[in-house]
Amino acid sequence: MENTTIVETHGLTKRYGSGVLAVDSVDMSVRRGEVYGFLGPNGAGKTTTLRMLVGLIRPTSGTATVAGLTPGSPAGLARIGSLIESPGFYPYLSGRENLRVVADLASVSQKRVDEVLDIVELSSRAGRKFGTYSTGMKQRLGVAAALLKDPELLILDEPTNGLDPQGMAEMRKLIKDIGQGERTVLLSSHLLGEVEQICDRVGVISGGKLVTQSTVQELLGEEGVLVRAEPIDKAQDLLTKMFGPETVSRRDGAIHLKTRPENSVEINRQLVGAGIGVSELRPFERSLEEVFFKLTGEKQGS
Amino acid sequence: MIATIKAEWRKSRFRPAFLVSSGIIAGITVLIYSVNWYLALHPGSAERAANILTLYPDQVVNFVMGAAFPIGAAMAIVVGALFTGSEYGWSTTKTMFTQGPGRLTVWAGRVLVFAAWMLIITLVLFGVGAASSVVVASFQGHALTWPAAIDVVKGMGAIWLIFFVNGAIGMAIGTLLRQPAAALGIGLIYVLAVEIIAVRFIDLINNGAYKWVTEQFVNQNATALAQSFTSPAFGRTVAPAITAEHAVLVLAAYGIGLVIVAAGLLRLRDVT
Repeated sequence: MENTTIVETHGLTKRYGSGVLAVDSVDMSVRRGEVYGFLGPNGAGKTTTLRMLVGLIRPTSGTATVAGLTPGSPAGLARIGSLIESPGFYPYLSGRENLRVVADLASVSQKRVDEVLDIVELSSRAGRKFGTYSTGMKQRLGVAAALLKDPELLILDEPTNGLDPQGMAEMRKLIKDIGQGERTVLLSSHLLGEVEQICDRVGVISGGKLVTQSTVQELLGEEGVLVRAEPIDKAQDLLTKMFGPETVSRRDGAIHLKTRPENSVEINRQLVGAGIGVSELRPFERSLEEVFFKLTGEKQGS
Repeated sequence: MIATIKAEWRKSRFRPAFLVSSGIIAGITVLIYSVNWYLALHPGSAERAANILTLYPDQVVNFVMGAAFPIGAAMAIVVGALFTGSEYGWSTTKTMFTQGPGRLTVWAGRVLVFAAWMLIITLVLFGVGAASSVVVASFQGHALTWPAAIDVVKGMGAIWLIFFVNGAIGMAIGTLLRQPAAALGIGLIYVLAVEIIAVRFIDLINNGAYKWVTEQFVNQNATALAQSFTSPAFGRTVAPAITAEHAVLVLAAYGIGLVIVAAGLLRLRDVT
């Protein structure tokens, strides 16, 4: 039976000589074929973890296997495409020539260069020197280089960094497209919306520790309905009778109901029918942002 | 290994540092030939006089050895430092190290391509020197006779070794410091100042009792090797204290040693 996990770490730790504990006992698993979001604030240890997964950094302790092999092994690297932090290319060479250098090194056919340039929609500007590229073009070229090997696993470290909103949207679409099918994408980001839109599962890292790892849905919790009504006690009694006490709770002057948003019409009818004034009635779900701040202990808006 | 050599060559063949260096060495060679030709025809004073016989094709090996050193050696340090240090400045180290070939394989390909470039610069030096000597001889109506092929090969081998070893100093410092600017600065300061001061100081200690130490320094050996190519036309009579054989062995040891040290640094250090 084929192993369903493509990245697995156990107690992965990196302590630098200065004593800084950058990554602290991370146990992470990424399943084949999924788009995995590696979420954390700046300086949380995301890039250090990813660098360990591609063999650029050696862990202080712990183990990791990537595509069944030790990180950094030539056989393993042949199956991984990566863009770690900013794209690194030769500024005096054109985008196409840079990809040719990478293709030579990876023993990939030169034909593949034009294919990946098409995928990232950079063919028309591939003849320009890399040094003259905009940030968005540089990021696209970085993704193109990562795709050269047609890798099983694509590791992208904050690929939307430095992009304008349109560039970010285009990059998200590109990642969604290349994450279709069998390919696994491990995407690190500190942008919650990005992860929420693209990823199947999420790992949240904070202060070097992996705080949680689950599907986006599990992380957001169950769906529900938020009700603001007057008198609120009478409304809560009525809703408790309708849905049962385990589904009703009160927070910040509002009633939270664990029920499907489709029940909103019936809820409104019953409340109004009982002479209760309804000022707000809407589907409720926790945002990933809310969950993230709760998990990482960061303050919103800080 | 072939893959890394192909990749290193592809990225280096249009690299401005190499192209500019080749141009500089060609320009300097032409300039030195021109100045010496002028001085030979217009001596002015005895100290500045140049012997026209040194500018003819039969002396081309001896002449270009003097023309290329030490400027060519200093240039090799700069190119070596840029060659490895820039990989960190451009963040291309991580790109190169995550494609498949191991770090030592990448390094081996890089060293071989650098060695090839030093050979190209050596060929440019000798080619331009030969062309310049032909121009001088033609204008002066002197016969076009050439040195023995073995002397040409020895001369080219010597200058290539000098260039490569100095380039290896630059490459090793560039790898150690992980940036080009400080690496080329330190490399040049070493060659142009530190070694010279150290040699003078050591020579003074105990009436030169430790002179053997200075005979192991890089550019003492490079100088001796360059000076071993001479002829009566150049008017040198004092034989260098270091033999050409000793110089070749010491320089080869430095070249190999520096390449191994840099390989160790690349192999063991994290790429942050």
